[in-house]
Amino acid sequence: MTAQNPIVFQIENLNLFYGEKQALKEISIAIYEKEVTALIGPSGCGKSTFLRVLNRMNDLIDSCHITGNVTYHDQDIYQPKTDVNGLRKSVGMVFQKPNPFPMSIQDNLIYGPKCQGIRDRFLLKQIVEQSLKQAALWDEVKDRLKESALALSGGQQQRLCIARTIAMKPEVILMDEPTSALDPVATAKIEDLISSLKQDYTIIIVTHNMQQAARISDKTAFFLMGELIEYGDANQLFSTPENKKTEEYITGRFG
Amino acid sequence: MSNKRKAQDFLLQFGTYFAAFFSFATLSLIIFFIFTNGVKLLNLDLITHDYQAKTHIAEPLAPNDTDYFEPEETLKAEVYYSPRWGLGLIDSIDLMGKTQVEIAYVHPSSPFQQLHDKGLSHELLSLKPDMMIIRIAYSDQPSSLARYGAEQMIDELALSNQIRELEFTIPGGGIRGSIITTFYLIVFSLLFALPIGIGAAIYLNEYAKNNRFTRLLRSFIELLTGVPSIIYGLMGLAFFVPFIINVSSATSGSILSGSMTMAVILLPVVIRTTEESLKVVPDEYRQGSLALGASKTQTTFRIVLPGAFPGVLSATLLAIGRIIGESAALVFAIGTAIKDDIRVTEQSTSLAVHIWAMMTDEPANIELSSTIAIIILLIVLLLNLLIKLLTRRFLRKVSAPR
Repeated sequence: MTAQNPIVFQIENLNLFYGEKQALKEISIAIYEKEVTALIGPSGCGKSTFLRVLNRMNDLIDSCHITGNVTYHDQDIYQPKTDVNGLRKSVGMVFQKPNPFPMSIQDNLIYGPKCQGIRDRFLLKQIVEQSLKQAALWDEVKDRLKESALALSGGQQQRLCIARTIAMKPEVILMDEPTSALDPVATAKIEDLISSLKQDYTIIIVTHNMQQAARISDKTAFFLMGELIEYGDANQLFSTPENKKTEEYITGRFG
Repeated sequence: MSNKRKAQDFLLQFGTYFAAFFSFATLSLIIFFIFTNGVKLLNLDLITHDYQAKTHIAEPLAPNDTDYFEPEETLKAEVYYSPRWGLGLIDSIDLMGKTQVEIAYVHPSSPFQQLHDKGLSHELLSLKPDMMIIRIAYSDQPSSLARYGAEQMIDELALSNQIRELEFTIPGGGIRGSIITTFYLIVFSLLFALPIGIGAAIYLNEYAKNNRFTRLLRSFIELLTGVPSIIYGLMGLAFFVPFIINVSSATSGSILSGSMTMAVILLPVVIRTTEESLKVVPDEYRQGSLALGASKTQTTFRIVLPGAFPGVLSATLLAIGRIIGESAALVFAIGTAIKDDIRVTEQSTSLAVHIWAMMTDEPANIELSSTIAIIILLIVLLLNLLIKLLTRRFLRKVSAPR
């Protein structure tokens, strides 16, 4: 890599607690623009929790509170005056289990824009087409936009969820194990999609699958027991890890 | 050991079979009882007719000696006909099950076509088929009474030259008014109960934090489900009846005060059912919506509430069942005067209260009560089907084709 891309998220000394229990310890990390950053680690290591810090989805859990600095383009997103809905609009999220809404494909895509107050029919139609094309789903569903989204296959549903996120024109897309509920073919399609989306979006992906992380990520972060063990270029982390624990994990010694 | 287990298994299994059979048998018995008692009075007239009978006392002109009216149509065998008066009578029972003498045919030139009303109106009246004759008083012989039957009445009529007075009635006993009241009650009660109930359920499930206060609130609502409805009726009488009297032209209990009382009775049911259905809306939908930058309110009203729609419909169904079946509270909150001309600010009876009124009559009218019960069952069945249909259509719209 030549010049370093600009920083999107700067996290310093982040501690996160669920009630008394500390789930993240002194995390400091910088996320760079238009790169794929993969978060790996064994179950319960805090990588999903960390992901949800970035769009404040942890707010939904009453007992959750954090200390430290999380800045998005130099703005502290944990200020009381932060526009959380606006933050989530530009930092979109795709979940582990495909979760299209129980409505038509088209309605799924225009739900977000409509909530932002966009009413122009022509514009909405354009958004539907563009986001489906970007999510490589257009050819498969263009004739059945009015059909229920739940009629799609799992992989299609997940790409619809990605399209739904894209429809909001976000800057960052957070992905929480987006392929763990999918078969290998659907997984491959999503991975291809992630690689092509990289040109326009910053992607942060949590994955259990180390091969996947190695295949698609530019930067990889290894979490263990709520701590960030190692963070760096994916190639380097997977070929010559600096930390012994990282090495043990990626060689399959535990986890 | 194994024998003991076998015996235990058999006993428990037998117990479940018996319980299922017993419930089924009891329900069938109830329906059987209602049908055998009520089916006799079940006809369209009951549903379309007024409850209040209109009774007239009138005086016909005397026929000429030479008059002879040949009936213009062939009369049924059971009709007794007097050619001299041009009147055909038949034995029948009225809508409430009492024996009556019914008019089957009136010749177009019969003296009964022109009657002087002896009441206040002095209008010209005429006898028509389906009216009931209560009494005919003659100038020259003892009166004929309906309870002796149509045959004797015709015989006596044939002997007389001069009718002094004729008492006849446009029969009542219909339940049209009570049916209309029931529908009004359903509409208004739901109008009050659904928005408040659904709103409360949304608050409890989506917004309220799980703390002491909401736990208390919940157990309170649960408690309210078990309060006997007559207590709600008292509350309606003390609260809603005066309220409606104050804000409208009502002078007593009214459909509006009844609906408000009913709404309070329904609230716990609506809240509980709606909350249960909100609970089963997957959290993934909420998260998905929030992650798209939708606000909490948008998420709740555009994603969660539509997802709970089938549950809301079943809450509505339960509520309707409750409204149709309620009598004790309504006796207080509306009143028991059976009416034909239904106004929301006036007293009238729902079908259930109509039954109550029939059963408190002397003697109790079990047959008519059973007939109304059949009609109630039919209405409930119909509404049930309607809501099932709506739910299915809704589910077909949102879910994967099977």
